[in-house]
Amino acid sequence: MTEHIANQFYADSSITMVLYDELENSKEIRKCVMDGSVEASLLKPILILDKFQVIVAATRAIHNQRHKRMTTKTIHSEILFCLSPSKNISDSYRKFGLGDEDKCMLVVIVDDQDNSKLNAIQALIKGRQLPLSDLQAKADPSAIKTIYKIHDEELEVCPLLDAVVTRISSKETVTL
Amino acid sequence: MAENEKHKLKLIKQGAEAKLYRGDFYERPCIVKERFSKSYRHSALDRSLTAQRIKAEVRALFRCRLQGIIVPTVYFVDLDSSCIYMEDITDSCTVRDYIVQIQKENGDSAISQLKPLATKIGGIVGKMHANSILHGDLTTSNMLLRGSPLDLNIVMIDFGLSYFDSLAEDKGVDLYVLERALLSTHPNTEELFSTMMEAYKQANKKGAAEVISKLEEVRMRGRKRTMVG
Ligand SMILES: Nc1ncnc2c1ncn2[C@@H]1O[C@H](COP(=O)(O)OP(=O)(O)OP(=O)(O)O)[C@@H](O)[C@H]1O
Ligand SMILES: [Mg+2]
Repeated sequence: MTEHIANQFYADSSITMVLYDELENSKEIRKCVMDGSVEASLLKPILILDKFQVIVAATRAIHNQRHKRMTTKTIHSEILFCLSPSKNISDSYRKFGLGDEDKCMLVVIVDDQDNSKLNAIQALIKGRQLPLSDLQAKADPSAIKTIYKIHDEELEVCPLLDAVVTRISSKETVTL
Repeated sequence: MAENEKHKLKLIKQGAEAKLYRGDFYERPCIVKERFSKSYRHSALDRSLTAQRIKAEVRALFRCRLQGIIVPTVYFVDLDSSCIYMEDITDSCTVRDYIVQIQKENGDSAISQLKPLATKIGGIVGKMHANSILHGDLTTSNMLLRGSPLDLNIVMIDFGLSYFDSLAEDKGVDLYVLERALLSTHPNTEELFSTMMEAYKQANKKGAAEVISKLEEVRMRGRKRTMVG
């Protein structure tokens, strides 16, 4: 159920994703990420249409890290920032980051070759793990359209996922 | 691109300013367009010009999408190695190859068969111009037909020379490039260009008259130049 994806560009880098619902302790998990005791990006699944969306953002984030050009302080916050269409960091957190009351969460971890980061966060999580293929069912297309400012003209010629992906990959080049 | 990437990609086109590769971006088939500067000096200026063209291409792809014009999805932009990773429009052929094939197979009836295609192209260019998107290199190789050509799913590509402005003069030049490219690649296609212009007028209602009069001026200048030269 845990998915490890090799980074396309760096042989020593990988992306790990795990989906949860029936979460009982979002607040506690979030606190541990904020104080640095566990490393991960905690995302709201309603805004994630497909793992490919996360892959595109994480690839961008790792590229920024390796070229010493991150906008945020850590690689896991950089993923969240890259995922968001906003250029404002706290706004990106508010929209895409896990909320204290959320019951559903997507955990994203990069460069976790020995699973130590994953083990650390899993020891903390009180919730039920779901297969990643459940992402589709958890996503809210209309919320996604609103956040990414996607209109119907565009959706006549491309799937929603492609509209989202183009915005993530073009974020640094295009001002929305 | 990273060195460990290169061996997984297959070079499909070596141009004067860009190399094209075919490969995968994670689970999806992709095209990698790598730009390089023409000059041998790899100065900071060259690098910044290359970056400007990549950005122009990404921006134009995005603006077209917003207007409902089909273009490849962009997966990754690497300004450090001057690459755009984009969707590979699989199951497609260039408009150029399609017109060549229809003309070869159908002789005299080719033009009437190609009219719906010309109408579609004129409409797309008109929509781009109405939204101040100038392509810069409107040739029949820079338009793909996805799936069955009869469905007229045209995908616009190659925006490396594109820019945004609203001057009728520049739009006239954009159309002139299209006309020259069409007539020089495909014999006896004057009528197809007229069909394109009819559709152009429909799609760019406000601006078309002025743009087409500029096109006529540019044509005159072009003719004078060839007469002198
Ligand atoms: N996204 C794509 N999907 C499928 N085929 C493509 C794609 N992009 C390019 N091609 C193929 O490669 C050819 C060349 O691509 P393109 O026009 O982008 O490069 P170019 O002409 O060398 O660029 P430029 O004129 O900007 O220097 C196209 O005519 C088309 O056949
Ligand atoms: Mg071309």
